[in-house]
Amino acid sequence: CNDKLNVEPVDNINADVALSTSNDVEAAMVGSYTGIQNIEAYGGYFQLTSDLLANSGDIEFVGTFIPPNQYQRKVVLRDNGFTESTWLVSYNAINRVNNVLSAIDRLDTPAKKARVEGEARFIRSLVYFDLVRLYAKAWNDGSPQSNLGVPLVLTPTSIIAPANQVSRNTVAEVYAQVITDLTAAETLLPASNGFFASKYAAAGLLARVYLQQGNYPAAAAAANRALQVPGGALVPDYADEFTSNNDLLGNTTEDLFAIQVTAQSGRNELNTFYSADRRADIEVQDQLLDQFEEGDARAELFQTISGVVYSAKYNVLYGNVKLLRLAEMYLTRAEANFRAGTSVGAAPLADINRIRTRVGLPDLAMLTLADILKERRLELLFEGFGLHDLKRTQGSTSPPNTTEVLPFNSNRLVLPIPLREINANPNLVQNPGYE
Amino acid sequence: SAAVGQTRVLSGRVTDAGGSGLPGVTVLERGTTNGTSTSADGSFTLSVRPGATLTISSIGFVTQTPSVGERTKLSITLVSNATALSEAVVVGYGTQAKRDLTGSVVQLSGKEVANAPLPSFEQALQGKAAGVFVESGSGKLGQGIRVRVRGVSSISGDNQPLYVVDGIPVVSDNLSSTSATTNPIADINPNDIASISVLKDAAATAIYGSRGTNGVVIVTTKRGQQGGTRFTLGYQTGWSTPTNKREFLNATEYIELLTEAGLNGGFSQASINARLTRYAAQADYATNGVNTNWQDRAFQKAPFSQYDLSLSGGNEKTKFFFSGQYSDNNGILVDNRYQRINTRFNLDNQATDRLKMGLNIGLSRSVNERLPNDNAFSSPMQIVALAPITPFIDPRSGLMSGLLDPATGEPNTTFPFYYNPLISVQNGDYVTTSYRILGNVYAQYQLLPGLMFNSQLGTDIINQSENQFLGRVTSRNTGPTNGFGFNATTNSARLVVNNYLGYNKVLNEVHTLDLTLGTSYEETQIKTNSVEGSQFASDAYKTLVSAAQITAGSSGETASTLVSYFGRANYNYAGKYLLGLSARLDGSSRFGVNNRYGFFPAASVGWLVSEESFLQNNAVLSLLKIRGSLGRTGNQGIPNFAALPLYSGTSGYVGIPGQRPLQLASPDLTWESTTQADVGIEFGFLDGRFSGEVGAYLKKTSDLVLSQPVPGTSGFASVFRNVGDMENRGIELSLTTRNIEGPFTWTTSFNAARNRNRVTNLDGPPILGSNLNRAQEGQPLGVFVGPEFAGVDPATGNALYYLNTPDANGNNDRSTTDVSNEAGLVPLGDPNPTWTGGITNTFTFKGFDLNVVVVGVFGNKIFDSGAQFYSVGFNNGPDNQTRDQLRRWRQPGDITDVPRAELFGGNGIALSSKFVRDGDYGRLRTATLGYTLPVTLAQRVRLQSVRVFAQGLNLLTFTKYKGWDPEVSTDYLAGNSNPTGNGTSTQGNINQGIDFYTAPQPRTYTFGVTLGF
Repeated sequence: CNDKLNVEPVDNINADVALSTSNDVEAAMVGSYTGIQNIEAYGGYFQLTSDLLANSGDIEFVGTFIPPNQYQRKVVLRDNGFTESTWLVSYNAINRVNNVLSAIDRLDTPAKKARVEGEARFIRSLVYFDLVRLYAKAWNDGSPQSNLGVPLVLTPTSIIAPANQVSRNTVAEVYAQVITDLTAAETLLPASNGFFASKYAAAGLLARVYLQQGNYPAAAAAANRALQVPGGALVPDYADEFTSNNDLLGNTTEDLFAIQVTAQSGRNELNTFYSADRRADIEVQDQLLDQFEEGDARAELFQTISGVVYSAKYNVLYGNVKLLRLAEMYLTRAEANFRAGTSVGAAPLADINRIRTRVGLPDLAMLTLADILKERRLELLFEGFGLHDLKRTQGSTSPPNTTEVLPFNSNRLVLPIPLREINANPNLVQNPGYE
Repeated sequence: SAAVGQTRVLSGRVTDAGGSGLPGVTVLERGTTNGTSTSADGSFTLSVRPGATLTISSIGFVTQTPSVGERTKLSITLVSNATALSEAVVVGYGTQAKRDLTGSVVQLSGKEVANAPLPSFEQALQGKAAGVFVESGSGKLGQGIRVRVRGVSSISGDNQPLYVVDGIPVVSDNLSSTSATTNPIADINPNDIASISVLKDAAATAIYGSRGTNGVVIVTTKRGQQGGTRFTLGYQTGWSTPTNKREFLNATEYIELLTEAGLNGGFSQASINARLTRYAAQADYATNGVNTNWQDRAFQKAPFSQYDLSLSGGNEKTKFFFSGQYSDNNGILVDNRYQRINTRFNLDNQATDRLKMGLNIGLSRSVNERLPNDNAFSSPMQIVALAPITPFIDPRSGLMSGLLDPATGEPNTTFPFYYNPLISVQNGDYVTTSYRILGNVYAQYQLLPGLMFNSQLGTDIINQSENQFLGRVTSRNTGPTNGFGFNATTNSARLVVNNYLGYNKVLNEVHTLDLTLGTSYEETQIKTNSVEGSQFASDAYKTLVSAAQITAGSSGETASTLVSYFGRANYNYAGKYLLGLSARLDGSSRFGVNNRYGFFPAASVGWLVSEESFLQNNAVLSLLKIRGSLGRTGNQGIPNFAALPLYSGTSGYVGIPGQRPLQLASPDLTWESTTQADVGIEFGFLDGRFSGEVGAYLKKTSDLVLSQPVPGTSGFASVFRNVGDMENRGIELSLTTRNIEGPFTWTTSFNAARNRNRVTNLDGPPILGSNLNRAQEGQPLGVFVGPEFAGVDPATGNALYYLNTPDANGNNDRSTTDVSNEAGLVPLGDPNPTWTGGITNTFTFKGFDLNVVVVGVFGNKIFDSGAQFYSVGFNNGPDNQTRDQLRRWRQPGDITDVPRAELFGGNGIALSSKFVRDGDYGRLRTATLGYTLPVTLAQRVRLQSVRVFAQGLNLLTFTKYKGWDPEVSTDYLAGNSNPTGNGTSTQGNINQGIDFYTAPQPRTYTFGVTLGF
């Protein structure tokens, strides 16, 4: 009768044999992209969290979901559901990647090994960079060497042991790991890699990291490297970048890296929240619309229903979610060059005018930092840059309909370590204001 | 044997003390196999030898043995006696006389659950058995029912009792594809049930070993009786309405409070006006007189009807019971319906003197028109969020608000402010159809006198399909345009083989020995398929053959096996001293190879004090029995393969195959083990007029199979491990009194139980459930833990919370803060009831009978989770608010418990004791008034019996709870997930007592007639 008791799972396989071959490890790499495709990660929450925390009345979240409402008011409770699920899904993706890296020697050609390792490091750094920016003090807020970041877990978990009760690394340690991974990824990754991460995507993300640190020469150089992507070009019509690819696979000429979405795979949660076709949870206010210059094609990407304005940027139900596009690289190169007083790749004015030309605006004759930042804000609207640019530029924000002013280093603009996480791991130190 | 000519035809009628005919009573000529059973009106005819003695017996009545003598007509009145010592009580793999029982068992007759207008029989057990807590959770039909025998013993595993039907453990797992659970137990026709035994202590349940901890419910179906074929026809009809509705703001109050909230929230009067105008379909909300009661639109007056036909009869060798039922139960929520067709065929054949064979087969088809779970925008109850100033019919389009945008003719996406769930009700459906074959064949062979070999082969096959279609107008909620379809099939097949020997021997007239020894093998396999698509040419096409886009498809399978050896020995000395031993050895595929077998023994003793010579002829004390037991049982109700480290291939990325780690290894995973001690005293006074039972128990569960939270930084949220302890201790009391006898009878049966649950050790952090529920050391399972609400600051109108943190001196700081994040998290209440019970009063007079059941649940708290949206003065948005919000703080100095209204302001929305409410309730559960026509009258229309009755369910509820209904547990959190699902939810036991737009219980009135011919 003992034989009868040996029932093996059919739907799943034993983890001990799951990464046996080169093909297995490649499949686990693909599964890592699925990990970050989750709505709780880059399917929408990362972007929404950043933009709602920064929002000072440009938009108004009027939906029934409590977590984004707390973000908008900058009163995030310890049990905020988005804060918890984003944390869990992020570390789940990191563990997927760590599994891949642990089995990297099983890849059967050096080219595959380089590519997969590069992709794994790219995804890991992408996630850590966003975690450290949301759950810890900003790079430019006090000392990153002593400020607590997020725990760095770089090996796969196979059993739960006391060692899993990790402590938080410092902000600087997390940034250092991100830069290490990305630098390696840029070297390892191929120039062309379909819609998976490429060398240029790694350079682009590196530019974003350096810009966040205020390392302008490095940011300009990395952005310039990203802009060398073969065949890269801004999509002629701004709206097309967001709305033309209904359920079509792949990147546009402008995309360095995008989360792919189809009817069968993934979900664009920004569509769910922003689109008037769906929940219509986010109402756009005049305060924002008034910032557009006359004739700006980007101002056309809104729609008005019964007197209420909604963004139309995410009206495509199965639209890909853009994470790194060339427009950002031009803006980053322009700003970094401007601040560093250099012209790596191109003069700042040329880069800005390139962005303006695409949306039908006249060239600027001369440039100020404010011009660059405004162009950046309007170009990258609702793409998750809000909070990070606010902190980087030491701006401030006010909860909508209030006169309260929160400086960039307000504790209320840092998410709490989720209650469930503090509960499960007593070694984690809570962020100020949430103890 | 007697010659035919010597027999005489005897006719008679068996009645109860009130004179009502008793159907189904066994009438046997003593010492022979010659017998029959009474018809619906209690009458019988039987050919007997002269001078014969009859044995007349029925469950729940004292057996009588009248001599026929020279009589040809006989009138017998049976005295009901719940404590009848000779009554056969169904236990695991056999029966025992009630007097010999040393375990804690409650046996109820099928009458207790028959004809109740409820889909599932266990719902009718509410308040009828001490220590058996039954909660419907929601007024939706066909959903999971929570049954708890002596508290909850598992945190992450199953807490439902094991259901055994005619010897076969049946599938009772949730097989739903949605997070609203289904209840396969509802497939059983309550009117087919002859008796229900609830086994409570280890002495009774250890023979079910690894599944004994949560108690065992043994259902025995009706069997044929010898005699002419009896037909019984029943018809019942009625309707249901909600037990309660909640009070929300009317249009005037809504405008007033929302305006105030808007101004408090920093909105301009102009923007508030624009907002209100939008809500009112661009009409002048102040003057147009619209005042929509959305809540009323979610409910319907729900018709109920049920048709029953049964036949039973047989001869000396072959007996049969055949029944059919069709019931059509409509839910109180629009579009909710449960229809069921059952047939049953039970056959017994005495093949030879030594060999008896038979079969029991129940076939059923249930069709459940289901609703989305409570957390869905499309759940009808969520309609209460809509504003009363929003017209039901949009005057701009002439259609229901939200249906089509009058400007574009496309589905409306921004009006009303939330999705109108009636759009899904009217343009979609979700039908779960389940076909079930539950049957077994058996053989009993007498090897030697007293030694019987029993063999039983049973199957339980469920073939379930779920079909969903949502029309194009639902796109605001569903996402895909042009319709959405979903279809899933689940095949669950269980095979059970039981073989056991029973040996019965009396030695020297004082030593009675009863032995049972056997083996059992069970295997359960579940296979699923599903497909999902969208883009239909029109709403007329509803099946996926017409979907232009197939968006998802899946298949899966899972299986488990259980190999068991069991035995029981009962010894009885002189009818006074009782000893019972039982044990089971279970091997299960669910656990690691090193821990595959578990051994579950129990021992029990009993002393029938009243049989001692010094009490034997006591005029007052007619029964006194003391019993005690100690034993160990298990619980293996966890997901299949929980011990294995797994990878899943479900991580493909836009068409490219991928995989990911799914689950961590837990190599030592094994049973949850519960040691239970039980003592009881059974007593009867005045020849059983006053009888009852008092018991106490202590259940200590160790090695909990815990889905333990782990640091999320590991990439996982939880892992199964055998850690932690929990205990339940309680007392149970039941009393039956025959208050008045004679032409007018009145009997009362009362039961009450107190249970204290405590999680004693978790060997790790607390397990956070949903909302404020937790498993936390030193607290009862599911305890609410969170910030403690301290009222409203009279100066600002802000919600205040007690700090409840240690101050500089280490004392608890009771000062207050309006920042909920600063408040300590403290226990706020226990969702488990302390006391549960019920009183049943039965009155009879002439042909009339009246049965009234009152149930009570005390000491539990409810978390009104929906209140964070509808009782917060618009602080979470424009959802319509409950009327208590009119008490809100308005200006400095106001003393109130309702914080300042502030649109989207977040004031007082933190989950806290503000939303924890008392959940105690008492309820007039059922009242049934029946009248049985005198036989002479019935026979005039060629009928043997006619009974008409009227009954009411949930007629009155007494509670302080201000929500819809205190019997509540929101469906989307209360269930553990479908065993075939990948992401396994194990928090259903922790998430207790949450009300989230949960439908109230129905109040049902029915009228029926039962005809015998």
